[in-house]
Amino acid sequence: MTIELQQLTKQFGQLTAVDAIDLEVGDGEVLCLLGPSGCGKTTTLRMIAGLEWATGGEIKLAGRVVNHLAARERNVAMSFQFYALYPSLSVAENLAYPLYAEGLSGAQIKHKVAQVARVLQLDSILNRLPGQLAEGEKQRVAVGRSIIREPNCFLFDEPLSRLDVTLREEMRGEIKEVLQGLKRATVIVTHDQLEALTMADRIAVMRAGVIEQVASPHDIFQMPENLFVAGFIGTPGMNLVSATLTDFGQNNVGTFAVEGGQTLTIAVDPAVGRLERGARVTLGIRPRNLEIVHESVADGLSSVIDMIEPMGAETLAHLNDGMHDIRVVTDWRAPLEEGDHVHVRFLPGVTHVFDAHEQAVRS
Amino acid sequence: MAAVRSQEEGGFFAWMMAPERRGPMLVAPALIVLFVMNIFPLLWSFGLSFFNYRANRQDIPDFVGLRFYERVLTDPDVWERFQTTALIVGSSVLVQLILGFLLALMFANQFPLRRVLLMLVLAPMMLSFVSVGVFFKLYYEPTFGLLSQAVRVFTGSTYAILGSPTGAIIAIVIADAWMWAPFVMLLVLAGLVSVPKYLYEAAEIDRASWWRRFRTITFPYIRSLLLLAVLFRTIETFKLFDIVYIITEGGPGTATETIAVYTYRVAFQFFRTSQSSALAYIILFVVIVLTNLYLYAVKQREREVS
Amino acid sequence: MARIGSRPREIGKAGWGWTAFTSVVSLIYFFPVLWIILTAFKTRSDALAVPPKFFFTPTLQNFTNVFFRESITAQAAQATEFPLYFFNSIFIAGTSVFLALILGTLAAYGFSRYPLRGNDTYLFVILTTRMLPPIVVIIPIFLMFRLTGLAGSYWGIILLYTAFNIPFSVWLVKSFFDELNPEIEDAARMDGAGEKRVFFAMCLPQILAGLAATFVFGMILTWNEFIFALLLTGVETRTVPVAMARTMGGEIGVDYGLLAAIVTLFLIPIFVVTYILQNQLLRGVTFGTVKK
Repeated sequence: MTIELQQLTKQFGQLTAVDAIDLEVGDGEVLCLLGPSGCGKTTTLRMIAGLEWATGGEIKLAGRVVNHLAARERNVAMSFQFYALYPSLSVAENLAYPLYAEGLSGAQIKHKVAQVARVLQLDSILNRLPGQLAEGEKQRVAVGRSIIREPNCFLFDEPLSRLDVTLREEMRGEIKEVLQGLKRATVIVTHDQLEALTMADRIAVMRAGVIEQVASPHDIFQMPENLFVAGFIGTPGMNLVSATLTDFGQNNVGTFAVEGGQTLTIAVDPAVGRLERGARVTLGIRPRNLEIVHESVADGLSSVIDMIEPMGAETLAHLNDGMHDIRVVTDWRAPLEEGDHVHVRFLPGVTHVFDAHEQAVRS
Repeated sequence: MAAVRSQEEGGFFAWMMAPERRGPMLVAPALIVLFVMNIFPLLWSFGLSFFNYRANRQDIPDFVGLRFYERVLTDPDVWERFQTTALIVGSSVLVQLILGFLLALMFANQFPLRRVLLMLVLAPMMLSFVSVGVFFKLYYEPTFGLLSQAVRVFTGSTYAILGSPTGAIIAIVIADAWMWAPFVMLLVLAGLVSVPKYLYEAAEIDRASWWRRFRTITFPYIRSLLLLAVLFRTIETFKLFDIVYIITEGGPGTATETIAVYTYRVAFQFFRTSQSSALAYIILFVVIVLTNLYLYAVKQREREVS
Repeated sequence: MARIGSRPREIGKAGWGWTAFTSVVSLIYFFPVLWIILTAFKTRSDALAVPPKFFFTPTLQNFTNVFFRESITAQAAQATEFPLYFFNSIFIAGTSVFLALILGTLAAYGFSRYPLRGNDTYLFVILTTRMLPPIVVIIPIFLMFRLTGLAGSYWGIILLYTAFNIPFSVWLVKSFFDELNPEIEDAARMDGAGEKRVFFAMCLPQILAGLAATFVFGMILTWNEFIFALLLTGVETRTVPVAMARTMGGEIGVDYGLLAAIVTLFLIPIFVVTYILQNQLLRGVTFGTVKK
């Protein structure tokens, strides 16, 4: 069972919330829709569910166009951001709720509820009302209710956003395990990249109603296709430095004139050679791919430490030379002081180059 | 000297507005008016109910103790009026509930012109009892009345609904229920719109039937409001006076004489002031019990909502 | 291709089809009121025509009659007093609702911000006085007014209506105060505002809409009140509901057109107010005990 979106569009009056997106989720695949709030990811999910109607394009579930079907006719399971547990029903009744439409016998329903309760460790709270549950338990019940039957696909709307940090980590693992057992097309909407990176088979990064990139978590992180994805994924965020390409020579070594007068010579993707000399580019490098050295180097920049944030095993140093803000993550033992003049070396092979249209220059 | 006095005045003002006296000072004026115009008269009539007193005579009242309570409580007429009242209150509140509930379901969704149409339905509640009484009396009138003329289309003869005891009671119930069903509708509507939309969405995803959705999601949200509506309308309908006074004047015979109309008669037509005071006290007791129940239900609902 | 037109229904929304259905039901429900309005524009013979007339030549005679009627019969002579009754209704209701609003607002602030010992008991007693059938209170008040000579005077009925409106005002206004965030008041106190300033500059402006709603609902309730007015107003202070009920007394010649015109005149402000205050209506009719 697959989900296919073709040119899917949603307009609210003048506002285009989702702008002609194409997306495919394979059988058994977990896809995360990731993006900042208001990017249209929840609207997309709700259109797949049938809670919102598409103003253009097609939605196919298992190869069948379902645009005209109501949610109940699409046979999808969905877990809501606010859990949407029925407040007057016990946990067991909440879990059993989707089963009534399947025409199962009482014994079968009981059996299924018990089964799901075992998987999600809800046995001890089956008789409680949602109001008496802790956040994590509510979350489990919500997940349980969506996995209890066998739908075409699973949809999760911000499944972990209401949990605190520790619970979130725990549930992330649990949900991932459950999802692996389901083997259905699954879409998870989230604004939390860690959630997306850990749970998804593929990630679709959305911005302003448009999908910016669809790729595996690894590729999204290692090979962002454009400036937005590069800046959005990764904590702390990727360093982005505006520069001009001045020379490109052997071994794919490029020379860039960085704003503020410094020059940077580093190995980059061979495709950069196709750019004209003098082209405006943006260089991107992750804070963990920078190294603090003691003398000025050709493949690095000089700056001043503006602020130091200890993060436990690592230290995050903010460098600012008046032109660029550069973040470097180093070992916590590195002796750094605010106000120090330092030099940072760009480690080889990890610098991304983005052209004037914000697209990655990559072969 | 003047300076000292103004200091004293300042001192008095400061004394008055001291934090621990602020509450009493703020509520006192309202409570005083209420005491003079409501509580004191009630106490007075409580006193009167132990004396033999008639407002239209100059006799010096003599103390009779509980005689009037005894008389009122054992008077078959009084019991009959209570039964009439109970019958009218019961049927009217029931009809209000059903009508109000259906109207609320009709207005639960958003649709074009909803606000305007809602006003049409709310209009009866905003009329005065007197207007409703006057015009329903006209509608029930055998010669010119709309009801009679509508019936005549089918039966060929005029219909005097107010002519028979049952008909008169039905006529009163129709007028009162028509007027107050919008009240129940407002309450039920409040419950209906308080159901979070995502619950309905979840039920849609879970493919719940209409009836199951209503029973498990909608009804729990309106249950407490229905109880409030029943109690509030019971208290209010218990007072029913104006409509009866105008449409039937209690008739035919005493078929529609509610306890309020009866008390009015005893007090202002027969001038048995003490006896009416005793009656009034029995009514007071019933209303206090109902009001207590009502406030209990209000607290219950507040706990549910929060 | 996208199939626009056949789309799943959105939850909580209905279309023009539902509007059509609701219009029919609403109009049926509204019919008795509609008939009153129609009657207001009918001549005397049209008003009582058999069979009833749905189509007729409208006349404004009834409305002019409310204010300028020449006395032709004894019945009509009574009706010429309607301008006075209108004035009485507005003056008496307006004054007493205004007084009750002032006293009620002070008390509501006290009950809300400086709870007394037994706060709930006071509130309960206050509400009970409002829930009482007027007949219970009217007997002793009637005697009291007779003794003090207040019967038939403006002051008597205004005083009584003020008391009648206080419970309503207290409960309703308190429900508005209870909804305010007291942190704002504390913040003002921290910034050096005195108690008077906190009340007048911080609290009152925030509940202005609520006070307006309280005033309007109080007006409607008082304006429509019948039994107190019946027993405690005299010829000079008679209010519209009493005057209307009195015209019913005669066996013949009830001028329904005139009465309909009066009801219609009442309906206009009520429609405007209901439309504006629709969201406060529930709170208004339950004395602030049910907010939403």
